[in-house]
Amino acid sequence: MKQEKSLKLGQFVLGNSVIHQLDPRTKIIGCLGIIFSVLMNFKWYVILLNISLIIAVIFLSRVKVARVLRGLRKLRYLFLLTFIFQAVLTAGEPVFHLGGVSVTREGIALGTSTIFRLLILYLSSSLLTMTTSPLKLASGIESLLSPLHYLRIPVSQFSMLISTALRFIPTIIEEAETITRAQRSRGAQFNSQRMITRLKSYTAVLIPLLAASLQRANDLAVAMESRCYTGGSSRIRTGSLCFKEKDRLAIGLVSLAFVLSVVLV
Amino acid sequence: MPIIDVKNLTHTYLPGTPYEKKALDDITLSVNQGEFLGIVGANGSGKSTLIQHFNGLLSPTAGQVTVCGRDTSVKQHRNELWKKVGLVFQYPEQQLFEATVFDDVSYGPRNLGLSSPEVERRTVEALKKVGLEPDTVAGLSPICLSGGLRRRVAIAGVLAMKPEVLVLDEPTAGLDHPGREMILELIKKLQREEHITIVMVSHSIREIILLAGRIAVLEKGRLIAYGDTKEVLRQKDFQTLPGVVLPDYLQLIYALAGRGKSVNPGIITLAEAELEIAKLLEEKDK
Repeated sequence: MKQEKSLKLGQFVLGNSVIHQLDPRTKIIGCLGIIFSVLMNFKWYVILLNISLIIAVIFLSRVKVARVLRGLRKLRYLFLLTFIFQAVLTAGEPVFHLGGVSVTREGIALGTSTIFRLLILYLSSSLLTMTTSPLKLASGIESLLSPLHYLRIPVSQFSMLISTALRFIPTIIEEAETITRAQRSRGAQFNSQRMITRLKSYTAVLIPLLAASLQRANDLAVAMESRCYTGGSSRIRTGSLCFKEKDRLAIGLVSLAFVLSVVLV
Repeated sequence: MPIIDVKNLTHTYLPGTPYEKKALDDITLSVNQGEFLGIVGANGSGKSTLIQHFNGLLSPTAGQVTVCGRDTSVKQHRNELWKKVGLVFQYPEQQLFEATVFDDVSYGPRNLGLSSPEVERRTVEALKKVGLEPDTVAGLSPICLSGGLRRRVAIAGVLAMKPEVLVLDEPTAGLDHPGREMILELIKKLQREEHITIVMVSHSIREIILLAGRIAVLEKGRLIAYGDTKEVLRQKDFQTLPGVVLPDYLQLIYALAGRGKSVNPGIITLAEAELEIAKLLEEKDK
């Protein structure tokens, strides 16, 4: 039973560190750079390079290490399973036999590197969301995708979609918590031993939640229309994005790491 | 022994994070069997947090809450409390989920594990209590009712569990005048005729003082006034609180008393105020 509102995985935490101040585009590019370099190349030194980059970012962003690690706990089974499958299913020089399967040296190496790659994927993306407010994230995505405008892809609508979705996640979570509490006060058993009882209890939350979300979507549409939103690209933002000195430095560092990772194949 | 006993309750949301917030600070109060406690306070004063301790949805960060003789810091006790303490949340109509009114109202009794004739009996009774005609509404879908009627259905859903204590969080918010009167009348009747202990949260002082025997006033998580309604009303520092807007007739009476006129400031209703003023005018005529 959850007692208190807890911070969600990768939830934005207000801060004023160097990383928080970076342009959202810098952080998105950096995050993608790190992800692509470990996806393309999984030599140990590439992983080491990118891990040290991430550690530097954690340090600079002054995000609590305990919080980052707490999120990792939820992924431990994924890591374990990945490792086991890689270790068992990779062909190569067997190290020892366990029942009918043999664990190979190559498998262990591959499993370990896969775990680290997953770790990097998780850490880089959650650092991005932990240090960038949803609004900034959306404007960053919009700005990065804006060239697609020439291909007649409605980027501004797409970004409105993203920012609206991001905006309402906390609201919906809060509402879900309230409804859960209300139903628990009427005896809904969310921690029952029986799966069926638990599932039934959750319908008591999902149905009102869905109804409220539809209602809210409708209200929002009316509110936007009454303020003359037509979905064009003529909308402008308060506080436009601009790259500063530290953004150039950060992009330079990440590009260097990216080039090193890809060239050192 | 009081049915709800709160001792030095402190509640902190998200302790140890940047969003840490002390919602309640060292609250001590108690509710006796069969009484009506009103909780008043501005938005964000901790009212909702406080009442969620009464049926075990929240547990104290520090201090102790005892409900029906059981300490709520014990998880076992918390999980059982919903059977004794009915909590009507703010805008409860948003929590209706079953296909028919009958199914929704009977959700609580069914969870209590009652036999189906008993469930039906209680559902019909609860619907009648909130002024709905069971034969006409029971088969309807809650969605096709108006907001005010849905609110009544939601309250019936809690009443059907026959709680010993009924806790209501702003039960009249967003209702029209007849809707408000009806709900308040219902609550009063439940307390006077069925002797259910009532805790009601409201930011409308006018509503609370007419019903509550005692009131507790919260501000920024602290209990700043607590006691017999008449006594709290007479406190000078209570009357001048920024969030408190007393009814006009009380303001008039207090102002008259402040000027040394012979009126009795220990009144609550408009009718009593009328009598006081009539008396004052008579004296003047003589």
